[in-house]
Amino acid sequence: MKMTRVLVGAVGVAFMGFGASLLTDVRDPTGVLVWLGGAVALHDALLAPLVLLAGLVLVRGRARGPVRGALLVMGALTVVALPVLLRPGRRANASVLPLDYPRNWLIALAVVATVTALVPAVRALRRRRRSPS
Amino acid sequence: MKLRVSPPVFKGRLHDARTATSIGRWLGPAFALCFVTGLVSHFMQHPPNWLADHIPSRPSWGYRVTQGLHVASGIAAVPLLLAKLWTVYPRLFEWPPLRSARHALERLSVAVLVAGAVFELATGLLNTAQWYPWPFSFVPVHYAVAWLVTGALVVHIAVKAPEIRAHWSRRSPGTLALPAQDGADRRSLLTAVGAAVGAVTLTTVGQSVTPLKDLILFAPRHPDHGPQALPVNRTAAAAGVGRVADERYRLVVAGPRPYTLTLDELRTLPQHEVELPIACVEGWSRSAHWTGVRVVDLLERSGAPADARVRVVSLQLRGGYRVSELGREHARDPLTLLALRLNGEELDPDHGYPARLIAPNRPGVLQTKWVGRLEVLS
Repeated sequence: MKMTRVLVGAVGVAFMGFGASLLTDVRDPTGVLVWLGGAVALHDALLAPLVLLAGLVLVRGRARGPVRGALLVMGALTVVALPVLLRPGRRANASVLPLDYPRNWLIALAVVATVTALVPAVRALRRRRRSPS
Repeated sequence: MKLRVSPPVFKGRLHDARTATSIGRWLGPAFALCFVTGLVSHFMQHPPNWLADHIPSRPSWGYRVTQGLHVASGIAAVPLLLAKLWTVYPRLFEWPPLRSARHALERLSVAVLVAGAVFELATGLLNTAQWYPWPFSFVPVHYAVAWLVTGALVVHIAVKAPEIRAHWSRRSPGTLALPAQDGADRRSLLTAVGAAVGAVTLTTVGQSVTPLKDLILFAPRHPDHGPQALPVNRTAAAAGVGRVADERYRLVVAGPRPYTLTLDELRTLPQHEVELPIACVEGWSRSAHWTGVRVVDLLERSGAPADARVRVVSLQLRGGYRVSELGREHARDPLTLLALRLNGEELDPDHGYPARLIAPNRPGVLQTKWVGRLEVLS
């Protein structure tokens, strides 16, 4: 078992070495390092503390599960939508980014909020049906 | 007065190995799928010499599926990666920060893993929106960091293997050693992560899975938007071709018996109809009906040998991908056309009027438009 782990680890190190050697061939390796470091800094120093803070303030009490779920889904949708929402400059042609993304973003948040609000109601209804007292 | 630095305290209860393992069980396969499909795309676009003649032209939908999966698995990995990083975030403040050389190496590999993973998902996503805010060129760097991050992931799995095994399922010994009252809360969190994966997938995947196009909210492309209901990357204006005048158009086939055809002559050759997708490296794809002359017919007329490779040269003046190569398999495939018509109409200039290449199982950037010349390579 230990042997397998060592071998797998060695394969991983070899892959990393190959990746690093490819990076030495690119034209602007410093720029790449800045962006790699920036990715960690952005997550660890900004995004993660903000998410933890939001959790501390908003996710509490009886509805903490659904509230956390809603925030998580809204957050994920927002992150994935950021490039199409914020891309500056002219589009290459009319078939690139053809939709009204800010409108779509508001629709998505509204749908998530509605579904989240319905979850406890549906659960309560089911519970009442199961135990008609 | 002495300044004392102490690590922050995390009271949240789900920053544990079971939560990390549960998310990792999905995140690992998502990254693996993204890496393998990325390799497929890389080798189809930049085949080394020994491979160029062996890239299969079937299944005709091959690249559409692999590249669609590449972008979809990358998007699905976004909420998974963020949830995973949230789970393990307290370990960033481990005290003491470095215990031994081994510990230092392990933390270094995790740093590479986190940096590379965030970097790959961010640059990939921005690239699909054609947004390039960085100073380097995207393709070689995205490819190099893919190897780096996959290597770091493999090292991470090897290092964590005992912990992964101990928390693999709900009944694994490590999981049972955790406080039982956290189980319900953890399941609620994991359900939410699953819902987030579903939400980001459903709102984007219609760009490659056409039946789901009505659910698109955040995809940078929509299958219905574009000339002749087909999206475009480089327009005729951007390529510097504009609308090619019919009477001035010539197709040169440079083989052992070279010849030249006018557009009218090309139109009188036997026409064939095929249904093939345009599948872009950015993930979007859409199937269409194409009508035109089989490339293999044009090659045979020039006396090209059966195993010839073909260089396809565009009339475009500007931009990359002016020239593409057809390997033996693609050049001989009866589905490979020099297309003159799209969905029953003449090609729009933006789709390559008067003639474009359309071949099965091939990245969109290599489906050369405004074709003026076919060169038989021995």
